[in-house]
Amino acid sequence: MPPIIRIENLHYTYQREGRAVSALGGVDLTIEQGEYIVLLGHNGSGKSTLAKHLNALLLPTTGDVWVKTWNTRVSAHLRDIRSTVGMVFQHPDNQIVASIVEEDVAFGPENLGVPRPEILRRVDWALDSVEMQQYRQRAAHQLSGGQKQRICIAGVLAMQPDVLVLDEATAMLDPLGRSEVLAIVRRLNREQGVTIVAVTHFMREAVDADRVVILDQGRIALAGPPREIFQQVDRLRSLHLDAPHVSELAIALRRRFPAFPANLLTPAEVADAVIGYCQARTGEAGRQGEDAPGKPLVNPPISNPPISPSPHPLISLDHVAYWYMRGTPLEVQAVSDITLDVRRGEIVGVIGHTGSGKSTAIQHLNGLLRPHAGKAVILGIDLNAPEIDLRALRRRVGLVFQLPEAQLFEQFVGDDVAYGPRKLGLSREEVRARVRQAMETVGLPFEEFKDRLTFTLSGGQMRRAALAGVLALQPEVLVLDEPTAGLDPEARRQLMRHILALHDQGMTLIIVSHNMEELAEVCDRLYVISDGRTVMTGTPGQVFNRAAELRPLGLDAPDVTLIADRLKAAGWLPPESEIYKLPQAVEAIGAVLAALTHA
Amino acid sequence: MSLELSRNILIGQYIPGATLIHRLDPRTKILCTLFLLFAVSFTRSLTAAVIYLVTILALVGLSRIPIAFVLRPFIRGLPVILFFLSFSILYLSWFQPGSLILIDWGFIRVTSEALLQAALSLVRLMSILLLVSLPTLTTRITELTHGVELLLQPGARIGLPVHELALVITIALRFVPILTEELERVIKAQASRGGEIGELSWKQPRQIAQSLLPLVVPLFVNAFRRAEELAVAMEARGYLGGRGRTKFIQLHGTWIDLIVTVAMLVFVAGVWYATSGRWL
Repeated sequence: MPPIIRIENLHYTYQREGRAVSALGGVDLTIEQGEYIVLLGHNGSGKSTLAKHLNALLLPTTGDVWVKTWNTRVSAHLRDIRSTVGMVFQHPDNQIVASIVEEDVAFGPENLGVPRPEILRRVDWALDSVEMQQYRQRAAHQLSGGQKQRICIAGVLAMQPDVLVLDEATAMLDPLGRSEVLAIVRRLNREQGVTIVAVTHFMREAVDADRVVILDQGRIALAGPPREIFQQVDRLRSLHLDAPHVSELAIALRRRFPAFPANLLTPAEVADAVIGYCQARTGEAGRQGEDAPGKPLVNPPISNPPISPSPHPLISLDHVAYWYMRGTPLEVQAVSDITLDVRRGEIVGVIGHTGSGKSTAIQHLNGLLRPHAGKAVILGIDLNAPEIDLRALRRRVGLVFQLPEAQLFEQFVGDDVAYGPRKLGLSREEVRARVRQAMETVGLPFEEFKDRLTFTLSGGQMRRAALAGVLALQPEVLVLDEPTAGLDPEARRQLMRHILALHDQGMTLIIVSHNMEELAEVCDRLYVISDGRTVMTGTPGQVFNRAAELRPLGLDAPDVTLIADRLKAAGWLPPESEIYKLPQAVEAIGAVLAALTHA
Repeated sequence: MSLELSRNILIGQYIPGATLIHRLDPRTKILCTLFLLFAVSFTRSLTAAVIYLVTILALVGLSRIPIAFVLRPFIRGLPVILFFLSFSILYLSWFQPGSLILIDWGFIRVTSEALLQAALSLVRLMSILLLVSLPTLTTRITELTHGVELLLQPGARIGLPVHELALVITIALRFVPILTEELERVIKAQASRGGEIGELSWKQPRQIAQSLLPLVVPLFVNAFRRAEELAVAMEARGYLGGRGRTKFIQLHGTWIDLIVTVAMLVFVAGVWYATSGRWL
């Protein structure tokens, strides 16, 4: 069978501020029918630019792209190319055209001039394929992120394409939404033979691919099956990517125990390999002697104590409830029972999937919302007291919203950071000093960045500039909503480093995230919010040891915890051990293997 | 002032229901709304205006939407409305001679005609507000758009860009909830950075104007970015303009729609005729 897409020596240059910038510098790639390709690369590596060439949204500066037998330069084939290669983008909100689900799905076939009875059939089939049939009459803006993205996929499927290109289609989704979308994509590939090209910077998503292609500086830096690629941890890091913890763990174990198998990809594979390794050395499966590590035990019953506030917290929410549109026919309860407290100097993590109410909950922390029921006491101020100085409170509790760079409004970075301090009526010198300090704290040197145009910053720098805008108020407590969402691994690492430095200077931090591995790494305590209620709390070890309870809430424990759980179930690790960080896993599993190896 | 915006924006908010009003063809609703809108805007009779208002209130009642909910923006704006009305009463009383003078305290003078005029304005304002909200509250916005498109279809023959117009409306309406949410988020974010928009009332217009910049700039920047992304996404889905497109949605009016439309036209015209040429 001839390849479905052929890219030959593709160069692409564009103009920016009067200079020619090269985004792609000679890419050769052949995509076979039915293949599942994952295109990886850090921000600015050229991966999205490459994806947009696949259906003639961009045309090569030099070189050629062929879809089936059509050259994308020939505009007469445009409709054929667009209906052969369908594309789904990052923000579902910005690609849904019609308000009602089924009408949006019909938009593509309408454009192709498909007769109405056939459109009906296709809409039906496309909605079935993404398992959204029961939502066909719903308004798109009422769906969750994962559901919206599935609608976008259905909209593309209704055009019956041979190739589905996903341009960071999962970047903005929570773990639940992401796994929903990935499951659909996998099935389309396996069962209906749709060719998949997925652009992402999540290494974890590359596990299912037939082939991984990594771009760097507009060229293909590395390509091959995921099993081979994931072993090259150092090379990946030099390309500003992260190897998944699973492969890092497997590689670390193999380094210490050469008999440990190589090329492991999933948590299940690593767990099975460890069990296999152990059994091979004890001879018998499942049964061990008295001193063998991890003697199987009956799991202690999990008690679920009522969540009650601790004494002398800095911040305490006590059974808080809040309704949006209260007193109208459209009233909805956003949170029904949030209990949460934070002590000075802590790092507290708040986990919950999109729509769980966590964003509503944290808006109580600086008095943006006041509870309709329950009690919220912030820095000793009861939010339901009649006369309170909210502006003073907001100065002391800094709240950084999701994607805060979307709120920058000044032309120059320095001016934007100065917005808060100027509102305080401080003197020029004082404002300048605060801006300088805030910018230096987030790693944007004052002299170098103060006169930079805001929109010329990179994504990560913009995020840090927005953070500086809040830090310039010199708050005692900092609340961060999804601080690293949408950043690539390198920008993510940098930002987390600066955030932790704030904590070292004595700031109390509250981090809201659905990135389990990130929270596990840094938090003292976690709160799990689901359906508007606080459902679980404890240290990361306590919370992640209840991984089975997290899954129905649309959350997942870190990969190393999943591996540890399997080993606990098989009796190779003691059930009370707490493993949620990579080094813990390497150490604990390493100890088990070492005991057997030397025995 | 509450930081919650969506509570005060009625346009584009559909409240599901199964009443007769909900089930009518959107074209019927648009036509009836237009009849009433025209009549109530141009009638010079207070009696007629009140009859129209009562009719509209009856329609709201039929749709089972709480009247207090629909009237909320009107009641909120009432102080401002009354302020301007009282000015117009004083103005008209001075400059419209030949009517009965009710009060005469030197500079302050009130005539019967000015009062009538003011009452008419108030009834008109309330009617128009109800009329504009009712179809959007009881009809899905997309159905309204299809209704408008079909009603305008004859215009396509004389070169009116009906399809483009309908698409523009569809997209504009689709983004109303998204942009409202975004504005709310920007307001909250700037409030968290020391801004004060949420705390101001209309009594401080200068401060409001000053604090608008941090809201308007991000809102526009984001809206343009969204527009760009949407254009690319539409292109990727094969949109190359209206030519050669087929249509997925079809509207089916019934004989009830026909009867309702004709009855409304006859009623509106009848009231107009019976009261024409009179003030009261």
